[in-house]
Amino acid sequence: MQNKTFLIISREYTTRVKKKSFIIMTILLPILMAALIFLPVLLVMHSERNQHSRILVVDDTEIFLNTFEETDNTTYQYRSGNIDQITQEAFSNDEFDCVFHILDNGEGLRSNLYYKESIPSSLQSSIESQMNETFFDRLLQDSLHINPEDFQKMQDLTKVNITAIQIDKDGNQRENDADMNMVIGMICGFFIYFIIIIFASQVLRGVLEEKTNRIVEVLVSSVKPIQLLTGKIVGIALVGITQFLIWVVLTSGILFGIQLAAPSLFESETSTEMATEMVSNSDLAGLADGNIFQVINNYFPVSFTELILSFFFFFVVGYLIYATLYAATGSVVDNESDSQQYTMPVTLPLLLAIITVPSISTNPHGQLAIWLSMIPLTSPISMMVRLPSGVPLWQLLTSMGICLLFLAFCIWFAAKIYRVGILMYGKKNGWKEIFRWLRNA
Amino acid sequence: MNIVEVQEVTKRYSHHTALNKVSLSVRQGAIFGLLGPNGAGKTTLIRILNRITLPDEGRILFEGHPLQNEDVSKIGYLPEERGLYKKMKAGEQALYLAQLKGMSASEAKKQLKLKFEQYQISDWWNRPTEELSKGMQQKLQFIITILHKPSFLILDEPFSGFDPINTNLLKEEIMTLSREGTTIILSTHNMTSVEEICNEIVLLNKSQKILEGNIYDVKQRFKDNTFKFEIANEQLPDASLFGDAFQLISQQPNEHTTAYTIRISDGHSSNELLQLLSQQCRIVSFAEVLPSMNDIFIQQVENFNTEHHAE
Repeated sequence: MQNKTFLIISREYTTRVKKKSFIIMTILLPILMAALIFLPVLLVMHSERNQHSRILVVDDTEIFLNTFEETDNTTYQYRSGNIDQITQEAFSNDEFDCVFHILDNGEGLRSNLYYKESIPSSLQSSIESQMNETFFDRLLQDSLHINPEDFQKMQDLTKVNITAIQIDKDGNQRENDADMNMVIGMICGFFIYFIIIIFASQVLRGVLEEKTNRIVEVLVSSVKPIQLLTGKIVGIALVGITQFLIWVVLTSGILFGIQLAAPSLFESETSTEMATEMVSNSDLAGLADGNIFQVINNYFPVSFTELILSFFFFFVVGYLIYATLYAATGSVVDNESDSQQYTMPVTLPLLLAIITVPSISTNPHGQLAIWLSMIPLTSPISMMVRLPSGVPLWQLLTSMGICLLFLAFCIWFAAKIYRVGILMYGKKNGWKEIFRWLRNA
Repeated sequence: MNIVEVQEVTKRYSHHTALNKVSLSVRQGAIFGLLGPNGAGKTTLIRILNRITLPDEGRILFEGHPLQNEDVSKIGYLPEERGLYKKMKAGEQALYLAQLKGMSASEAKKQLKLKFEQYQISDWWNRPTEELSKGMQQKLQFIITILHKPSFLILDEPFSGFDPINTNLLKEEIMTLSREGTTIILSTHNMTSVEEICNEIVLLNKSQKILEGNIYDVKQRFKDNTFKFEIANEQLPDASLFGDAFQLISQQPNEHTTAYTIRISDGHSSNELLQLLSQQCRIVSFAEVLPSMNDIFIQQVENFNTEHHAE
């Protein structure tokens, strides 16, 4: 008998894994992800690295004369006179890439940047910030008679930096970054949501296919309905796990490959700037020293193992709960277009969980967050969103316990409905009818 | 010996009783016709025999012991509502379903190759079933049903959708299986095929068994002494011959002969009639008209319904 369940699992698994759509999705997604991450960086870098900008500054106010800082990619020259004439000369001789005109029209400073061909987007912002600084210093000195260097010192002295430090029950201190927790929580939550949506609804379609096909009658004359149901749910779960693992391996493979092929990409100003901004004030900076797990463990308010284990738990249990419910739904309806009205009650809690993700992640210890992370239909998502921000162990365990109990109920419920439902052809089964099956079966 | 005994089986659904204390036995090696109008409870009975559903009361004996899950590997079932996985390849699909019935993969494959050849669908092994014609799909389904060599075969409307050629092929296959010792339950509305291949029948109506027995016996039971004979046209029988004893039902003149249908009243015999006729004219043919299963079916169901209605 076990053997037959295994046969069903292997059919459910192989037919799906062999599908073109599965192969395409599995391979394409990591490539798309990698492309999404690196293409913009690559494009910006490419355009900026090869472009040398020669800038002619025409400063009517004479405030900014010789103040611009030259870099490897930009050189400045200063001239004065009629702007139209200078511009024409500069461009016609191809002496300069752009002409930067600063004037005071009485209402304040204005500046125009004339150019013939495209200029790097970063150039404009770089010039702007340099001008702001110079002008600010100038005003400090001239109007308020404050030395800019003194001002800078004062600014540094008065700068307040808040470091959130969490103290766990053992008295260990942990620096903590709420933003990072939010991001990780949201990623986990969304991921579980997509897993449920994609794979649990495959269970629905599978059940429906067998029912509308009528092959189910042949199947249940050979195996018990519960074996059929188990085989389908486990088989599809394995498909999901396979796809997930391939994604993880491929994505990290691609990232690793890019790092090998173009190490500069990871060292470039643009990406390190972004990275340092995220990493600053956190232990992640210690990445350079090596042991990534230690760093992660130091970083999270929950241990990395706890996070991974919980993720796996809610991933599996969440899928199983929805898969069994969807299977029951699939067995009740007679065709796909009818399925909508029956999936509604199952899908609503899922929607609730997903639309509350932002508010839970900003307030992970509020009433809403606690309740939703306890209710079994929303908890797989809501609890994962809260988890990186630190959840008391008793809450986590209670939530998991409720989930398991509810799963047991779902299996009981689905098995009863499924057994009767799959053999009811050509009938629209009302809710009343379904409750009767539950009582009688 | 009876391969299957259904004892006082009752099955109730929320709104109606599908089977009401139905008992019947199927003799080893018989081709057993399960007849009845739509909604009589045939499908429910078939599902109970397959252990798809369990009876509320009563029990089923299979080969002498109460029917259990392990027995399903000895049962072959071709449901009326048939289907296959559309996208799955014909061969793979058959292999899968055969394994679910308990065959080993290698044995199933070997047998399937043979059957595919016998039914001339070998070229379709690697094609998705949705590309097969309806007739071919039905062949495939039949092959799957009998592949594990069940000792007990349940066929629900097996001929529906088959063209005459394939219907014949199927009939021959059923007869062959029967000769080889397979017991077959045939549920159908096609009375002609019942007369052709079944030896025993049960008639269900409104969840109850209203008739059962050997086809010959059943026909004997419902015959009404009607005879049909043909007389050569040169000398027709005297009209005075027909009366209370031999009621004339119809007379049909043909080119060379005239056909008569008469009913013989109680107290008189066919021999008597033959004697009278042979004195007067040349008899071309003489035969008793037995009721067709179709007539019996309709008559019995109608009688039962009017009686029931009267209650």
